[in-house]
Amino acid sequence: MYKADVRGQLILGNKDYRQITSDIIAPIDNKAPGWWKVALAVSVSLASLGIFSLYYTVRYGIGTWNVNNSVGWGWEIINFVWWIGIGHAGTAFSIFLLILRQKWRTSINRAAEAMTVFAVMCAAIFPAIHMGRVWLAFYIFPYPNTRGSLWVNFNSPLFWDFIAISAYLLISASFWYFGMVPDFASIRDRAKTKLKKAIYGALAFGWTGSTKEWLRYEGLSYVLGGIAAVLVVSVHSIVSTDFATSVIPGWHTTLFPPYFVVGAIFSGFAMVMTLMIVIRKYYHLEDYVTDSHLNAIAKILVFISLIMGTAYFTEVFMAWYSGNEYEMFTFFKNRITGEYKFMFWAMIICNAVIPQIMWSKKIRSNITALFIISLIINVGMWYERFNIVVTSLANDYLPSSWTTYSPSWVEISLFLGTIGIFSTGVLFFFRFIPMIAISEVKSVLKPTEIMEKH
Amino acid sequence: MNTTHIIGIFDSKLDLLAGIEGAKSKNFKIEEIYTPYPVMEAIDALERKSRFTTVAFIFGAAAVVGVLSFLYWTSVIDWPINYGGKPTNAFPSFIIITLVLTILTVTLGSLFTFSLRAQIYPGKKYFLPDERATDDKFVILFDKKTAGGGYEAIAAAMKASGASEVYEKEF
Repeated sequence: MYKADVRGQLILGNKDYRQITSDIIAPIDNKAPGWWKVALAVSVSLASLGIFSLYYTVRYGIGTWNVNNSVGWGWEIINFVWWIGIGHAGTAFSIFLLILRQKWRTSINRAAEAMTVFAVMCAAIFPAIHMGRVWLAFYIFPYPNTRGSLWVNFNSPLFWDFIAISAYLLISASFWYFGMVPDFASIRDRAKTKLKKAIYGALAFGWTGSTKEWLRYEGLSYVLGGIAAVLVVSVHSIVSTDFATSVIPGWHTTLFPPYFVVGAIFSGFAMVMTLMIVIRKYYHLEDYVTDSHLNAIAKILVFISLIMGTAYFTEVFMAWYSGNEYEMFTFFKNRITGEYKFMFWAMIICNAVIPQIMWSKKIRSNITALFIISLIINVGMWYERFNIVVTSLANDYLPSSWTTYSPSWVEISLFLGTIGIFSTGVLFFFRFIPMIAISEVKSVLKPTEIMEKH
Repeated sequence: MNTTHIIGIFDSKLDLLAGIEGAKSKNFKIEEIYTPYPVMEAIDALERKSRFTTVAFIFGAAAVVGVLSFLYWTSVIDWPINYGGKPTNAFPSFIIITLVLTILTVTLGSLFTFSLRAQIYPGKKYFLPDERATDDKFVILFDKKTAGGGYEAIAAAMKASGASEVYEKEF
């Protein structure tokens, strides 16, 4: 069978199995570094601000936000879609690359999955509080009730969204957790203190690495991988139908489902790149997250950026080609040249133009440049959601209902709060969980590399 | 009652495969193999089979039928609602929710099945002959009574195949 080592060695430094375990669990064994404590303090402060604004919203209602009758969806929905998008890549990364048998995923999938779980948790906060009376959120569950046995609307994309996101969170979290079970067993069996042995022993669920366990483990991975690949595509398609089934100009387009799915994977991959650069730099894991890994992610980002550019162009073209005056107004007057032109051009430049410089091999091997580009993409993807959510609502069919929208301090604090919650989660992940899948990395270490050492 | 086991320790996958081959050629019965990562050849050597995918398919098929029936019952029988004259059995708009709930059912069912069949669950009392098996060693376990040879014969075969250590232990 055809086989070519296009990526070179996946693990550098001529490691053996024991060394791999030691390197990866070193951050758990060692004391927390100073930068980690500072970062945690900042993250917890931001998260506290978010929790306070959550309390404020629940206490005084969503009148504390600047959303109004015309712009009924503001920063909350922008942030919801943005976080869900980021959360997409983790599972997309693990699952698509697992199904395609891409071995280079093994160094990155664990962090990508962790990121997914925290991002989806942040995303879920927004639609819940947007209900206004969050304590009645359980009304959305279809259960026999005393309201005349009235069922929820199973035909509504908003209900699909609720089910899809709950399922996505549950599946991502289980995929992530069961992936960690063999690694928890490794930590358990190397632990020197009783407490650590007890904690990681409990987390390892009695894993021993027998053939009986590995056989089912592989079966579970492929079943969950195959089925969650469908879910990844469907979740963001469903998010897009929240918009696409309406009659708002700029929203009712059949392009939305693929455009949203690709956009989600784009922002998520950018966040994966940001995280992997931090992990590799601050935990000295350059032998595992090599330049070749970052190069591979950069190539995927360039490709997706081209798709994003095509999608933006298609939207504008279809507005012109349809000859519909409202569509023409939304795209040409409102977005491209109107009062929201900054957001439109920021989206184009950040998502479709700047990533193109990664065609250059020199840029792809410059870690600082990659780090900055990955952040720019995530800013760009936020602007994309602003464009979609706010510009269409602020100036729709009736000029009498036109309005402008800027967020209140509560909305800004909620957004900063979710960044705090996300980064707190990620920092705890750095500290207490193996950041790289130990058993999977061992499986891609070539037998010849081990033989040479003996 | 405790049983005496013979344990062969190997440093690499290739040595392990030679060890399995060595045991097979002498007709020694291997009880279990423990590895730090999945080794398909070891799974095949013990002739272990799994019907995991079939079970997952059954969960999926049951979920499709269950969800569609539930949607039909709520929308057509229990509480029909007139959405601008659209048919109450709005099958096309049931597809997405059926797909998502099927995925959820297959996931939960598969996790439950995995936990049950692989015996991986919280608080499980486990048996691991050598703790290095979850780190860097590959372990072949023989039950002394049923292995089909004494300690000396098995140890010699394992050493000849490249085992770094062979020892007896009672569990």
